[in-house]
Order: sequence, then structure tokens, then C-alpha cells
Amino acid sequence: MGEVIVITSGKGGVGKTTTTANVGTGLAKEGKKVVLIDTDIGLRNLDVVMGLENRIVYNLVDVVEGNCRIKQALIKDKRYPNLYLLPSAQTRDKSAVTPEQMSKLVTELKEEFDYILLDCPAGIEQGFKNAIAGADRALIVTTPEVSAVRDADRIIGLLEANEVSSTELIVNRLRADMVKRGDMMSSDDVVEILAIDLLGIVPDDENIVISTNQGEPLVGTKTIAGQAYANICRRLLGENIPMLDLFAKSSIFSKLMAKFKGN
Amino acid sequence: MKMKHTPVVIKGTKSGIIVVLDKQLSIEQLKKECAAKFNTSKDFFGHSQVAVSFEGKKLTDEEEIEFVNLISSHSDLDIVCVIDNNEKREALFNRTLDEKLKQLDSNTGNFYKGTLRSGQVLEFETSVIMLGDVNVGAQVVSTGNVVVLGALKGNVYAGAAGNPNAFVAALKMNPKQIRISDVIARAPDGKDSFEEGAKIAFVEDSNIYIEPLTREVLGDIKL
Repeated sequence: MGEVIVITSGKGGVGKTTTTANVGTGLAKEGKKVVLIDTDIGLRNLDVVMGLENRIVYNLVDVVEGNCRIKQALIKDKRYPNLYLLPSAQTRDKSAVTPEQMSKLVTELKEEFDYILLDCPAGIEQGFKNAIAGADRALIVTTPEVSAVRDADRIIGLLEANEVSSTELIVNRLRADMVKRGDMMSSDDVVEILAIDLLGIVPDDENIVISTNQGEPLVGTKTIAGQAYANICRRLLGENIPMLDLFAKSSIFSKLMAKFKGN
Repeated sequence: MKMKHTPVVIKGTKSGIIVVLDKQLSIEQLKKECAAKFNTSKDFFGHSQVAVSFEGKKLTDEEEIEFVNLISSHSDLDIVCVIDNNEKREALFNRTLDEKLKQLDSNTGNFYKGTLRSGQVLEFETSVIMLGDVNVGAQVVSTGNVVVLGALKGNVYAGAAGNPNAFVAALKMNPKQIRISDVIARAPDGKDSFEEGAKIAFVEDSNIYIEPLTREVLGDIKL
């Protein structure tokens, strides 16, 4: 029986889709059978970030409306044969699907997959309600900004109200230099406000922009963000991996060395 | 309430009309009733292409032709074929009608001016000539051919009712997906391998080919 994880944030642009793509790819790399579901109906992105846009024939709405079977809509990833994407519809809107339908779909997918990752749209309306309907666990993505943390707090409250009890935090786009100067909240500050477990910290890395533009998730590569996502995946699988020390040294090389020593 | 007896009843279906004739009456009487019926509903049916079938009274082939002529002369309907009540033959006739209409669809067209943006879908039951671009995430669907006088970057579906002779032409041909009838082709992965110049896409041996718009290629296009 698989586990359903929703990746959500409340605020837009904090990195839900990037996180979904990288965590999904990372779990597949670890040998798990994974399906990514883009629940952002009308503003689909996950297929672009995964580089699978040209393969879409059927989508989530087609499955829910019975125009096709689930198997027909699932797109096999070009890199990992145990990774699949269920893309969202571009020509419809959030009201095309109900939470009950999502819940039913996810239950069916649970039979076959180890992990079902739901990429949640921004906001707390219908799209959010659809995404969390069948979720067992939630990853809250936030950046160290007051506005993003405020929205994350609201989301955690809504998740608790909807009985998604297991919530973990990913602090995205952290800049060690700014934290050092006292111009940015540290991950500790964010954890203190939100009071949930920290699953990982992803430093601000321009390689992310390159990777999303190319449609190639960077998890597991030697980039600092790639390392951070690989660690997040292993923590999700229950391993005890220490956080990357972003303050230790300035060069990527020394950071990597520190990590290897840490292991 | 007592129903008024109607010797001739006209029923509309998806692909045409069914004329129900009263068994009790003679052919001559029925003809008179039928003519009157179509005279009164001339405006309702208008000019459309239909298939006709007769129910109720059994008609010989000659009588059937007489009735078809009668309907044609008392209405503006264009009767494409007569459908038998035999199911197998009915299916066959439906297919023939579809094919007939399909041909007409690809030979008539509509113009559309403007840029289609992500999430927008343009659907026509004829061929389409687009004056503008089709952006990524947008889709043009046509039962006939699609001509884009601009950049085709999104998805396109020509011959949507199943016409493999349909084609797609664009001044800048760089689509994510092209479907013609039941054949699908997608853009190659990785960097855009886009080449300048007007191109045409068509189906040959169940594969989609994209070629520059040369006289030779155009010569092979069937309309």
C-alpha cells in the first residue's frame, strides 16, 4: 500500500512544483515506484519541469471524467522507468474535479505505487481541497519570508482541520549569506514560528532555474540544491541524515567534503 | 385527450430523419400526406444534408425513389442517402454519410484571426486557417485541414473525425504534438530542433511526416 504525500504552501512561487519534481525523481532514483499528480488544473507546470510536456495525450480530468483509463493517462518518465506523471488539464479549471473524485483516484493508485506525490496549486480554494483530499502526509514548502511563512501557517491549520496530521517542513531558497547578515530568517526561525518538523533546507541555487528550464530535475547531481533534495528524499524514506551545513565554508567543494565527512 | 391521427410522422435523429408511414393507407394517399407534411415543415428543416429512412409501410425500391423525389421537391432538404431499416446496412450508410460529410468538412474552411494562448482551444467542424500564432498549451482541433499563418507551437489535431488525408501547414512549424486522424507525433525531447521555413505535416503509412512546402509535396496532397 502506497503513501500519498501532498506538496503544498499556500503562497505561490515558493517552489512546490520544483520540489515535487525533485522529490519524486529522487524517490524513483532510490528504486521506489512513484507517480506525480499535477492537481493545478488550468495552470499546469509539472509536465514542463519534468520535460514531459510533448507526451501528454490524456490528463487528470480525462481520467476523472472517464474519457480514458488511468493507465492511458500516466506518462512514463524518460529517465526512470518506475516514475510516472499524471498531468493536469490546461483547458479546464479547478471545478472540473471534486475532492471525492480525487480521493477515489488516489486510493486506486495506492494499490500500485509506493509513493503518490500531489503537486498542489497555490491558494486555499477548490484546487487545494482537491489536492489534500486523499493525502496521508503533507510537505509544506516555504521560503524564509514573512509572507510565505504566514501562508504556510494558515495551510498547516487547514491541513490539521482536514485531518492530515503528518506535516513536515521544507525551507526553500535559503541564502546563507543573508541569514548571516541578519537580513533573512534562518531555518530555525521558521521552524520556531511554524512548530512542525523540518524535513530539509534547500539553499537558493541558480542551477534550479537552469534545471527547470531544461526539464531535467537536478536531484542527486553535485549542485548544492541537488544534494539538498537527495537528502530530503532519504529522510522521507526514514533515514537519519544530518542537515547540510550551509554556513561552514564558502566553496561548494568544501561543502561537499563536509558532507562526505559527515556521513 | 384523443390523439389526432397522423398518417405521416417525421422524426429527427442525429444523422437524418425517419419518415413513419401509416400501414393502413395506400401509397397514393401517403404521398399526398407526405407532400403536405414536408410543405408545412419546410422552414423548420431548412437546407441541410440528411439521410432518410422509411418506417411503417413497406416500400418497393421504385416507391422509395418516388418518396425521396417527393420530399426533395417539397422541401429544401438535400437527401444524401436512404437508410434501410436493416441494422447492418444502416451502420454502413451512416459510415458512408460520415465519409461524405468528412470530405465536405475538409474542403470548406473558416478563418480565425488572433493568437491562441495557453489553455485556449479552437474547434471547427471544417478546415481552419489561423491568422496568428498557436502558443504552447493551446490547441487547434479541426475535422479538416489546419493552416497556420503564423507560428505553430502548441498542439494541433487535424482530421479529428478520422480523416487520414488531412494535413497541417504552418509558416513556423514547431508544435508540441501533431495529431492527424488517429496518428500522433510529438516534438523531440531536449532542445528545440526547430527549422525555419513553412512546413506541411501529413500522414503516410501511419506515420506523420513534416516536409518543407514544396510543389512536389503539395502535389501529393489529396483534398
